[in-house]
Amino acid sequence: MTLDWSVVWQHREALVAATGTTFLLTIATMVIAVPCGVGVAVLRLYGIAPVRSLATGYVELFRNLPLILVVYWAFYVVPILTGVGLSPLATGLAALALNVTAYNAETFRAGINSIRKGQVEAAMALGMSRAQALRRVVLPQALRRITPVLASTWVSLFKDTSLVSVIAVTELAYVAMQVRAQTFRVLEMLTAMALIYWLLGYPQAKLVDWIQRRYAVNE
Amino acid sequence: MDFDFSVITGHWHFLGYGVLVTLALSVASGITSLASGFVVALGRLYGPRWLKPGIVLYIDSMRAIPVLVVLVWTFFALPIVAGVTLPPFWAALVGLTVHLAAYAAEIVRAGIESVRPGQTRAALALGMSRGEILHRIVLPQAIVRMLPAFGSLLSVTIKDTAIASVIAVPELMRQSETVAGQSFQPIEVYTFAMLVYFVILFPVTRGVDRVYRRVAHLGRS
Amino acid sequence: MTESVAAPAVPRRDSATILRYRDVVKRFGMLQVLNGISLDVHAGEVVCLIGPSGSGKSTLLRCTNGLESLDGGTIEFEGARLPRDEKALRAMRARMGMVFQSFELFPHLTALQNVAEGPRTVLGMKPAAANARASALLAKVGLADKAASYPAALSGGQQQRVAIARALAMEPDVMLFDEPTSALDPETIGEVLGVMKTLADEGMTMVVVTHEMSFARRVADRVAVFDGGRIIEEGPPAQIFDAPTVGRTRDFLSHLGWAG
Repeated sequence: MTLDWSVVWQHREALVAATGTTFLLTIATMVIAVPCGVGVAVLRLYGIAPVRSLATGYVELFRNLPLILVVYWAFYVVPILTGVGLSPLATGLAALALNVTAYNAETFRAGINSIRKGQVEAAMALGMSRAQALRRVVLPQALRRITPVLASTWVSLFKDTSLVSVIAVTELAYVAMQVRAQTFRVLEMLTAMALIYWLLGYPQAKLVDWIQRRYAVNE
Repeated sequence: MDFDFSVITGHWHFLGYGVLVTLALSVASGITSLASGFVVALGRLYGPRWLKPGIVLYIDSMRAIPVLVVLVWTFFALPIVAGVTLPPFWAALVGLTVHLAAYAAEIVRAGIESVRPGQTRAALALGMSRGEILHRIVLPQAIVRMLPAFGSLLSVTIKDTAIASVIAVPELMRQSETVAGQSFQPIEVYTFAMLVYFVILFPVTRGVDRVYRRVAHLGRS
Repeated sequence: MTESVAAPAVPRRDSATILRYRDVVKRFGMLQVLNGISLDVHAGEVVCLIGPSGSGKSTLLRCTNGLESLDGGTIEFEGARLPRDEKALRAMRARMGMVFQSFELFPHLTALQNVAEGPRTVLGMKPAAANARASALLAKVGLADKAASYPAALSGGQQQRVAIARALAMEPDVMLFDEPTSALDPETIGEVLGVMKTLADEGMTMVVVTHEMSFARRVADRVAVFDGGRIIEEGPPAQIFDAPTVGRTRDFLSHLGWAG
């Protein structure tokens, strides 16, 4: 068995670009999924009954489906249903955003609910409206509890971007496996792929640990 | 736009087989990763000192590397390194176990560490040995506390089996791809797949919730 | 501390009725918590509500500022019925101060910021003016040096005093105290009761739910005894504590070990 690791170096430009795409997907998804998650959470908590049911249905649906299936569904079904043809990248982004928004909505809802009722009562006893109480008393405290979970979601999302490789989005997993197919250097490329993810993901995981320690809440 | 769901019934056996494989792979990897996770966690907490860094490295690495990468490596690269070729299902089982056991180990560790130290002190005061304490006092409480986290890990396990489609395991996702590709009816086929996964997953999370609520008081000290 | 009844510094009985409860009824599901409460609170009065746990005292307080809705009867504040409209209710709440058993200070704000929060957000005061008012009130409750401290760094008694200052910052016409010392260590109860007595001496209208009988004996103008959602006896502390006319009052007080 002869190994030729120079393959990795030869294709470094493609791999670096692909890594960039991976980061881009992660960031873009979060940029969409955080505000949308807040929106859905607020609808679930404070909306009128039919809106609450709809929001809950959305969250429960996407938390109970494999992401890879959502990716395929978005790629094959959405163009037929809507007549709009999106690029693989946009489709992948849409699937990721739909998925992460649901998780974020649950995170925000649980975070807000974890604040004791007494805090809202104390704020209202001063004469604040519910909206003011939410803004000035509940959300600042809820953010402390939400931040570590959001950080954890970020790391999961970073790994999940590998799933959009199945619809030929040129992120890291897809490009690495393309190079493998072209050069037949299976062990080298697959190990390199794992190693690159490890190099990128390990520090992120450690950062999440630090965030969880720093924002630990003791009641 | 008309939908023709006969494509589902027409391929009933093919898709049904996929569902069975999904369930089999989920249950099997659930069991193996749970067992491995326990061993790893106990090794980390009570094992020799030199074992700890290796275990921590393993656990944190699985947090960094996507499941897809682990599965693909196990199926395509492991044969080259180890000379043994695993059929797709077994490669998926090994890959999923290696990946999920890390998370299971973290759940076990967190569960054990969450039992109040006073419990151990009280048991020691009664004259129990460390082994007895772990077995009769700490683990029973810890396992109750681990239930919700294990519930969501089971949910993740079932969802991850769908990724095994990438290494040609004939589970539901893969079977759906095949039928959708041949029949040019992706909407019906993938919608059906979504329905099946939802029907499998939804009760899992709800069921764990129910069980936990019944037994939660057993874990509160 | 002596048990003598001090002569009030300002005349307490005034013709203005700040709070008027008439046949107030409140249910939680099948449970009837308030069974027709009628009571008047006049300007400058200190009314203490005593009685066994679960007799409805705290519930009445929470109905007073609209945190709970009524199932029957009326509550009037300064001559006006409690409104149903949220906005009007909020305006009314701003004129009542409430102090909770669990303090409920906002943990993400310093003591000063806690006290200034009401004036800033509800009254729309400029930060500088709100902070100045807050500083003065913290000094009044004896915590000027803790202005920059967060609630987690304060003892229970200190937190409750900050909570009192926070309620006072709104310049309310009545202060509602819901078992303000029940969650405190015995050593710190005194510092909170001291602040409350000062407020009473200054003529603040106060409705106090409490188990601190000596405080009620010394500071209250009137005491109302609750039992099973009704007021079974009402009168000046001398009557209630020294010569109760109702048997259940006697039972309740002796059960608490009250020797008179």
